[in-house]
Order: sequence, then C-alpha cells, then structure tokens
Amino acid sequence: MNGYVEAGYVVGLGTLAAYAASLAVRERAARRRVGAGPAGTPFVAGTSHARVPGPDGAAGPEPVTGAPPDPASGDRR
Amino acid sequence: MWRDALLVAGKDLRIEARSKVALGQVVPFALVVVLLFGLALGPAVGRGSVLSQAAPGLFWVAVLLAAVLAVQRSFAIEALDGASDGLRLSGLDPAGIFVGKAAAVAGQLLALEVVLAGAVALLYDRHLAGGLLLAASCVAATAGLVAVGTIYGVVSSGARQRETLLPLLFFPMVAPILLAATKSWDAALAGTPGRGIAWLDVLAVFAVAYLAMGTVAFGPLLEDA
Amino acid sequence: MSLTTTPTTRATAAAGAGRTGADRPGNGAPGARAAKVEGRRGRRRSDVALTAVGVCALVGVLVTVWLGLWVTPPDRFMGNLVRLLYIHPSIAWVMYICYGVAFLSSLAYLWPRTRSLRFDKLAGASSEVGVVFTGLTLVTGSIWGRPTWGTWWTWDPLLTTTALLFVLYLGYLAVRRIPGEPEVCAKRSAIAAIVAFVDVPICYFSVLWWKSLHQPPSIADPVTGKTYIHGSMAWTLLLSFVSFTLVYVWLVARRYRLFVLAEREGDEGLALALAERRAESREAQA
Repeated sequence: MNGYVEAGYVVGLGTLAAYAASLAVRERAARRRVGAGPAGTPFVAGTSHARVPGPDGAAGPEPVTGAPPDPASGDRR
Repeated sequence: MWRDALLVAGKDLRIEARSKVALGQVVPFALVVVLLFGLALGPAVGRGSVLSQAAPGLFWVAVLLAAVLAVQRSFAIEALDGASDGLRLSGLDPAGIFVGKAAAVAGQLLALEVVLAGAVALLYDRHLAGGLLLAASCVAATAGLVAVGTIYGVVSSGARQRETLLPLLFFPMVAPILLAATKSWDAALAGTPGRGIAWLDVLAVFAVAYLAMGTVAFGPLLEDA
Repeated sequence: MSLTTTPTTRATAAAGAGRTGADRPGNGAPGARAAKVEGRRGRRRSDVALTAVGVCALVGVLVTVWLGLWVTPPDRFMGNLVRLLYIHPSIAWVMYICYGVAFLSSLAYLWPRTRSLRFDKLAGASSEVGVVFTGLTLVTGSIWGRPTWGTWWTWDPLLTTTALLFVLYLGYLAVRRIPGEPEVCAKRSAIAAIVAFVDVPICYFSVLWWKSLHQPPSIADPVTGKTYIHGSMAWTLLLSFVSFTLVYVWLVARRYRLFVLAEREGDEGLALALAERRAESREAQA
C-alpha cells in the first residue's frame, strides 16, 4: 500500500475514537459534578433529592464514587 | 405589513441620517478594503492585470465585508435603551419589521455599492460595461444579502459575542450569492451580458428564497431575541 | 420539577427515556412516563441496548477495516487506493443522516404538537456528530483525491458544498451556545438548523451551475468509484455503511446523555444556589 490508504484509515478512525473518548470523559466529569455537587445539601421545594445507591448499585456504576468506565466507552479503541 | 415596513425602514434611515455611521465608517471601511486588495494583488497595469481580472470578485467581497458591518449597526441601534422591547411591544407586524430593517440596510448597501463600483473602476482600471446587468445584479444580490443578514442579525443579537458570531453565520449562507454576483458582474464587464442573465436568475431565486425564509422566521425569532 | 425519576443518571436517548422535568407535560411521551414507573429497570435496559450498539459498531468497524485493508483485492484501476472508498462514502453517508436527523428533530421541535426539549437535544447531538463526520468526509476525501486526482482540493460542486456544510453547521453549533432560557435557545437553534439545512441543496445547485456553466468536469466523480465494485468489495462497503451508521447511533446517544447531564447540572446548580440563599436568609433572620 502507499501511505495514503493508511493515513486515511488512521485519520478517519482515529478521529472518531478521539471524539468517542472525549464524549466518555466529558460524560464522566458531568456525572461526577451532578452526583457530587448538591450532595449533603439540605433541599427545599420541589427537589426531593433521592440519590441513594440502589440494591444493584454494585452492578451499575455510582456517580458519586467516580464511575468506572462504561463498557461501551471503554472498548472504543 | 408594507406600512409597518415603511415605518421601520424610515426610522432606521432617519437614525442613519442623524448618526451617519454608515457614511462615516462603513463606506470608508469598504474603501480601505478595496485599497488593501490593491496592495495585496500588486499594482494594476492595464487590462490583463490580476486586479483588473479579479475586479468583480473583489468588489463583491468588499460589499460582503461591509454588509456585515451594516447589519451589525442595524441591530446595534435596537440593542440600545431597550429599543428591541419597544419594537416587540409596538404591535407592528414582525414580517413588516423584517422587511423594513432589511430595506433600510439594503438602501445603505446600494449607495455603498455605487461608491465602491466607482472606486473599483478607477483603482483597478476596469471599464464598467453592461450597466443594466450590473445594476440589476446589485439589486438582486443586495436583497439576498440583507435578508440573510437580518435573519442572522436577530439570531445573534441575543448573544454576548455577537460581533464574532454574525460573520460566522453570515458568510457561509451568502457564499452562493457571492458566487452568482461575481459571475454576473464578470459577464457584464466582459461585454457578454447574455451569459450573465442566468446568474441574475440565480440571484433573484436566492433573494426570493431568503426573503421568504426571513418573513416566516422573523416573528418567532424576534419574540425571544 | 422532579429531578429524581432517574436518580443514578442513566437516562439515555436510545430508549427515549430522558428526564421528564423540563419537557412539556402531555406531549405524548410514553417512554418518559414508563421511565417514571419502571425507573431503574427501563434505564438499565436502554443501557444494555446502547452497549450492544457500541459493541456491534466496534466489531463492525474492525471487520470493515480487516476486510478493507487485507481481504479485498486491489482495484483494477485504482489499485490499493480503492481501499479508502470503504470508509469515505460511509462517513459521508453518516454525515447526511446526521443533518437529516437534526433537521427533522428541529422541525419536530417547532411543530407545536411535538414540541419537546428532547428534540432540541437530539438536534444538537446529531449536528455535533455531523460536524465531526463532515470534517472526516473532507479529510478522507482529500487523502483519496491527492493520489487519484493529483490535488488535495478541487472546486468540485460536491467538495465545495461539503466545505460550506462544515462551516454552516459550525455556525449552528455556535448559535446553540448562545445563552438564554432553554425554550428560547431551542427555538432559535431549531430555526438556525432549518435555515442551514435548506441552504445545502440550494448551495449545491448553485455550485453545480457554476461548474456546468463554465468548465466541463475534468475529473472523475468520486462516486464513480462505486461502479467498479463487485463481490467482496460490495459486501465490505455494505458492512461499512451499516457499522458506521451504528457508530453514529452510539455517538449521538452518548452526546444526548451529555446534554441531559448538563441540563440536570444546571437545574441542580440553581436548586443549590436557591437552597444556599434561603439558608443565608434564615441565618440573617436568626
């Protein structure tokens, strides 16, 4: 092959992988902020703040404790 | 709608007559652009020079750059002293406001184009042939330009970074207008106006399409601006 | 406002089980209501679905790469360069899906009976992914064009309008970032998306006329590459289309989630600020 083909594949798939990774990183950061932000704050009016780990909390990642990578985000190259 | 448009256009033009921003800043700016092109593309010597060849395109690029400023000015006057609230509460037809504001900018741009055409003919050494086609494409292209400008002017007027946002939105939308207007002027100046007629049609289509889009979209946009 | 229907923030676009707080009530959102009732179970199901899509997309892309780079034979005319055509057309195809979805969901937002901020988020997610894919379309096309046409760029109608698409939607994304009330922003963005989308066909024709009025096309159309394709090449291309479409679904769903999270963050930030101010006033009174 002649370099162009490899370059095309690397750029194309690499960019997609980078974008997917950036989405995963941003999502995790957002989850941490949403989870950690108002925790422990007394809440009034309308926001019943029931963010407690469910019975299956071990299986599903809990945002407060820094979520482990989603399987779908982890194996995106 | 037309009466409202006249009212709004009259108001904008009166403000311009008193403040003379377009005359004092936008027109000189466009002339500076024309001069800069001259510096960038070398001195014009005779018919075949780059400048004289590229004169139609350069003319329209200068118009586009000035159009952004004119649109920004047109919405800057609404931003002062809660004027936009006044406009919204005035009970005028939004389509009328759109047409009025676009018409006021169009009037200023057309005057600017006359000045610029003179400057281009003089500085780039290009004889202005085919005056009718030139004028017709000016009118059609300007109508399209101000329609797009007014739509995006109101879209970006809510943004704090509106000075940088408007050009980003405006230029891609008017790229086809630039293309068609340049081709039309090219044909007219080359003495083959027959080839330019098709481009004039394209310009007219754009003007109608963008104006129609604006009259429909302006109401909801103005409500929230 | 109920922020707690999806407490562990696992709402996804895939199942349409977004949060219900800011969405208008009574707009026919069975997914949202089901999420309220079923709660965690629906969320987990959508999670599994999204993961499945992600895995399928990944496997599909990897198999496409394997087929494209190693299994398929080189083309009779283009040689190995034909291998680029296993990814370039599918990326361009996804680009059109992106903008199509953004356009349709913007229309759905503006249509009063289907007005819901979910459509706004979908339009935003889809067009952001679209901008990525448009950039990739341009880059991979350019990489293919350099050895094939001998130039990185040519003012072909297709290329020119694709470049315009790129900047048009960059502008749209900039419009989305204008601050304001969610409903106001959504309406403004929806109009901007529709205007941008409508401009694309017009642009295409104008640029097409620009070419056809003046010089005849001196270069092969990129699409003609397809006419040489047979057998394993066709299957590879088909797989490529499918897997890149799956990649699109996965990316949009992830981006959509991010919008949901950002929205919740904004709401909770407000709630937090309110709670703090109230506490302050209580202290001041005491």
